[in-house]
Amino acid sequence: MTQKKICMVGAFATGKTSLVQQFVSSKFSEKYHSTVGVKIDRKEVDVAGGQVKLLLWDLAGQDKFQSVQGSYLTGSSGIFFVVDGTRRETLTELAGLLAMVQDTLGAVPAVIAFNKADLVDQWQVGDGDVAALRGEGRHILKSSAKTGAGVDNAFLWLASQALKTDRG
Amino acid sequence: MPDSQNLGAAGSETPVRIDVFGATHCGKVRPVNEDQFFIASLHKSMRVHQTSLDDLGAFARLSGSTAYLLVVADGLGGHRDGQLASGTAVTTIAAHLGETIGCCYSFDVDEEHAFLSQLEDAVARAHRQVLQRHAGDGGRGPATTLTMVALMWPRAYVVHVGDSRAYYLRGGRLRQLTRDQTAYEQLLDAGVVQEGPPGSPGIEDRMKNVLTSAIGFEITPSIGLVDLEPGDVLLLCTDGLVKHVPDADIAGILGECGSAEDGSRRLVDVTLERGARDNVTAIVGRFAAS
Repeated sequence: MTQKKICMVGAFATGKTSLVQQFVSSKFSEKYHSTVGVKIDRKEVDVAGGQVKLLLWDLAGQDKFQSVQGSYLTGSSGIFFVVDGTRRETLTELAGLLAMVQDTLGAVPAVIAFNKADLVDQWQVGDGDVAALRGEGRHILKSSAKTGAGVDNAFLWLASQALKTDRG
Repeated sequence: MPDSQNLGAAGSETPVRIDVFGATHCGKVRPVNEDQFFIASLHKSMRVHQTSLDDLGAFARLSGSTAYLLVVADGLGGHRDGQLASGTAVTTIAAHLGETIGCCYSFDVDEEHAFLSQLEDAVARAHRQVLQRHAGDGGRGPATTLTMVALMWPRAYVVHVGDSRAYYLRGGRLRQLTRDQTAYEQLLDAGVVQEGPPGSPGIEDRMKNVLTSAIGFEITPSIGLVDLEPGDVLLLCTDGLVKHVPDADIAGILGECGSAEDGSRRLVDVTLERGARDNVTAIVGRFAAS
């Protein structure tokens, strides 16, 4: 079966680990655990292009102590960027992360999830922010790792795009 | 059989000097040491005897140690049963990897994940062996935790079952690479309990001793990795250490120690000074720029 490596990238505490956990195990943890290094999970999915085993690399979030290490991205067929809709600074940090991935991998399929849609009343980003990124040709969606909304769609779309590439 | 072994420096192609040492002790209460540890280097080498090639740089990486395997296991079951379970698990894993493992020379996705699968296969085989050899009439027998690091500099692959731990120290900051697989952690995830101070009485504290994943019981191995840097210090330990020595003290000892042997012995010694209610084991790995 074809294997494709997908990296979860974003600022700290945006919900990367929770999105993977929801997608792989249909679970959500109420307790925040900071990821150290990389946590790896796998899931086999069927998409339009065929069956694919996703190798999900959940990278530690970027914070003042650590930046995302480019060495972890090598061989990725897709990048799952995560923004916390309730913290505007995570959208600000996205620009740097997009540039870093571009420098490291070149053009690679990517999705940007505005996460924590279950807390939309507390969001600090607006439709204008989403529209601006869409205007750059990026695939954007809203997700909630807690309720599962948008989660499968995001991973399956990325899987289908990853299958079209020769990477990983 | 000595309880520790210093592997010393790796091959000359390794960009860092690797110093690894393990120490274990029965503690002050338990009659038997049910912990086990294992430190090994894996070699797949090519020695060039003669060639017309001008540039031999491409072969330098094939000329020495290519990987280190570090394992700690904490047997559960009481008396010799736990010791047998942890011993069987570590022996099986070491034998399996010795027979099957190839070394990962690049970060090619398929090669790297095949390597990770081999590590997982080793854990699954250890689980089957413990069940087969030690399960009682009711199908229940002793079990063991297992925390394993396969190091191919600079990448440290971590496979983990139970509540032993792996940490690394960088710039004075101690980071825990593994997460305890206990009922307490499940309750935290479910939002049923809130995190309390260590050693707090009550059902929450008792749930910290209930494993949700253990070799010989049922396993849900967690897989991860970290890229190390020169100056980092790696620690694998059983819970006998962390019951008595908080992270700040561990960080202090790892930051001050002059060698891996010094670090691992000091961690065990401070545990003994504080009562050592359980067996205690610590493997320390230091990585210095060569």
